[in-house]
Amino acid sequence: MSISGLLNIGKTAMLSSQAALAVTSNNIANVNTPGFSRQEVILGISSPTQSGGLSIGNGVTVEGVRRNYDSFIQTQILGQSQNQGRSTALDKAFSEVEQVFNESGDLGISGALSDFFNAWQEVAANPEGQPQRTLLIQKANSLVQRAQAAEQGLTGTINQINEEIDGIVSQVNGIATKIASLNGQIIQAEAGQQPGTAIGFRDQRDKLISDLGNLVDTAAYESQDGSLTVLIGSRNLVSGSNAKEISSAINPEGNSELFLDNTNITQEISKGQLGGFLSARDEIAATPLTDLRKLIASVVKEVNLQHQSGYGLDGSTGNDFFGALQVSGRDYSEGADISVASITDLSQLTLEEYNITFDAANNYSVRNAQTGSLVTSGAYVSGNPINFDGMEVTISGAVSASDRFFISPLTDAVGNFSVAVSSNNTIAAASAASGLPGDGSNAVSIGELSDSTIANLGDSFSDFYRSIVSYAGTASQEASDSLAFENNLADELNTRREEMSGVSLDEEAINMIRFQRAFEAGARMVSVTDELLQTILNL
Amino acid sequence: MRVSSMMLYDQLKKAIQGDIAELTEKNLRLATGKRINKPSDDPVGAARAIDYKVSISRNDQFERGIEQAKTFLDTTDKTLTSAQDTVAELSKLFSDGVNISDASEMDFYANQAASYRDFLQTLSNTRLGDRYIYSGFRTDRQAFTFNATTNHYDYNGDLGEISVPVDRGGAAQMNVQGSTAFSVTMSGTTPTSLADGTPVSYTQAKDPSTGVNTITIEIGNAGDPDYDTFSVSNVMDIANYMSFAWQAQDVDGTDLDASASVSSQKAKHRIEALAAPLKEAGAQMLQVQSEVGIRQNFLADQQARLEQSSLALENMRAKTEDADINETIIEIKSAEVALEALRSSSAQILSQSLFDFLQ
Repeated sequence: MSISGLLNIGKTAMLSSQAALAVTSNNIANVNTPGFSRQEVILGISSPTQSGGLSIGNGVTVEGVRRNYDSFIQTQILGQSQNQGRSTALDKAFSEVEQVFNESGDLGISGALSDFFNAWQEVAANPEGQPQRTLLIQKANSLVQRAQAAEQGLTGTINQINEEIDGIVSQVNGIATKIASLNGQIIQAEAGQQPGTAIGFRDQRDKLISDLGNLVDTAAYESQDGSLTVLIGSRNLVSGSNAKEISSAINPEGNSELFLDNTNITQEISKGQLGGFLSARDEIAATPLTDLRKLIASVVKEVNLQHQSGYGLDGSTGNDFFGALQVSGRDYSEGADISVASITDLSQLTLEEYNITFDAANNYSVRNAQTGSLVTSGAYVSGNPINFDGMEVTISGAVSASDRFFISPLTDAVGNFSVAVSSNNTIAAASAASGLPGDGSNAVSIGELSDSTIANLGDSFSDFYRSIVSYAGTASQEASDSLAFENNLADELNTRREEMSGVSLDEEAINMIRFQRAFEAGARMVSVTDELLQTILNL
Repeated sequence: MRVSSMMLYDQLKKAIQGDIAELTEKNLRLATGKRINKPSDDPVGAARAIDYKVSISRNDQFERGIEQAKTFLDTTDKTLTSAQDTVAELSKLFSDGVNISDASEMDFYANQAASYRDFLQTLSNTRLGDRYIYSGFRTDRQAFTFNATTNHYDYNGDLGEISVPVDRGGAAQMNVQGSTAFSVTMSGTTPTSLADGTPVSYTQAKDPSTGVNTITIEIGNAGDPDYDTFSVSNVMDIANYMSFAWQAQDVDGTDLDASASVSSQKAKHRIEALAAPLKEAGAQMLQVQSEVGIRQNFLADQQARLEQSSLALENMRAKTEDADINETIIEIKSAEVALEALRSSSAQILSQSLFDFLQ
């Protein structure tokens, strides 16, 4: 053992303590950094020297810096963040939807419907009176306004969701780019080294992938060179240091759809905020929006049918009270178009929606869009009318087996909802021309519609509306309960992660003292060695 | 379990946020007074609350209908009472004046009968607001008008029943048709001879679309010098014929016969012949009035039922939708206490660390 050996040992003590202090101060600095894993310096024994049968140590070496990290919990967190993202999106969407149907302020549709039918009773009791008729038209307009406001609330929510989807898409692309660049840095840093040594970059990448999971359904796996491959909808989003982009495009129904590598991946995405928003959008269109339209279409149909058979004060009959229902069609075909789509018999309307499809032998089938059950079929002839359930549709042009036409009397039911009677005296309160002006029996019949079970709805108007409100409330309640559950679970996992990887200031303070004392001791040793050297030199 | 600093902060943050959120929710309940402020607060309750509100609104509308019907029926009732009294007076006039022969007395009776006739017509044309109540559906025209060509009173209304809904699927008729009240139908066996033995026959024909019953009266046998025939379709006609008979004239003002004695004989017979229909008229009006009374009773019962039902519904609605104010205030107080405790303990925990104690 030489003096320089002693100096060396002292040096290792000081240097390793310095390194340890650096790691400790890094931990303290990052106490609030989300995603940071606590780092620890790995101290090891320096290889001892053999000298004449004696094994004398050579001090301490810093073998590396370890981050306290549990990959199992990390995987769980990634999975949970996807569920959490989905629940967040669903909760947001449905709490907006339930506001549309919020009846607690008495400003909703059920109040307007009641007032409308009550106004008919007033006309029934006093058919000659003008004030009652004026009131009826007022209440009818109120109902129109409320219904249209409700529909706008729902379509507005759907539009907002589409915008959110676009926003998330750009966020996803941003994160993908960052992950790709981190991949490059990690590959470089760990080249030739043990995998897992680029701890700073890895922490950042873990945080990013977790954020990505919150946004969209994602799977990730690490390859040998340390780069993380990220997949969305079974296609690569990030591989190595290359990142692709998701794009969104509007489909014929006006909704955003997602594409990666020119493939439509919309159906593959079910988790993350994107998955949540996509699900919510489909559900809102399928249930409350369609049901609202069906309710209004039913009101128009029943009131108009009864009103047409009555007589106004001016003796006219066959008039509609509300603007007539229209059939709208959407055409998913290159070669053929819908030339005519109209209602031939209002009383036959089922208020359902239909798809017309074709087979290779040029036969058409009309199917119920919701249930898929066959309504009618036949041989297709361009320009010939197809009649079913009170409607007539004429398609002209060449069709192919992949063509589809969507026919619905509901799409514009609320948009076109309006009062059609031109004046008070056209309101048909009487059942027969001979009964004017005192006959109010037709008005009585229309008023009684509010208590009757409507065949198309299976319920009275009010009960059908109540079931829509109930749906909105239940969906929102479920979404927020689900979100609370997912949040709790995510917090649990986070706590477990923090347990392992979190920085505790108290702990770091203790470490700081420890390494500081070790440094002081090492420095003291160096100065003692220096004294020894002096002694020798002064011999 | 190892506790990191961030864990501590996160947990405290979550706890405080949770407490504040609960406090806000309860304050909202206090502010609106309702337990259900959006459907998701209680989806089943929200749907039920709508049901109750709709039912209450319907009941209110039915009650309004009942009020209208009551006004109509009350007016009908009053006019029928007056009409009955008038018919009774006419009957008295008949019994007093059937056998008089003094010309000036007969003039007096003629005038009386005429004024009763006019009064009856006024009653039949009663209006409520701008509606004639005895015209059936033809509420814009008078029920009975005098036809100067035929010298009879014509019914211009129809058999329309003005109904107003007073219950689910149930409507109450609130009018009485003019033909039902003022047109006379003789039932049972009709007399076949007058007091002095002269044969008399009553032939009736009812118009199905207006309900007017025309009674054709034949006095004596065809070929007799005092053979007479005329028709009446309502009480005004009866009074009219009586009035003119006391002047020994036909309703068009001409003498009943060239010979004065035959004229006065015919006149007397006419007055006697009209006694039976007049009696029927009185009984008929009484019948109509009692029917009106039954309808009024039914409406009063229905109104009481509706009021009770509305009360019960309102109770149910309040139980479902409204917040219990006292309970809410207590919950707010306890939430505030919990929040305060949390805040004070957080202050302790958050502000200390080992660094404070190291030199």
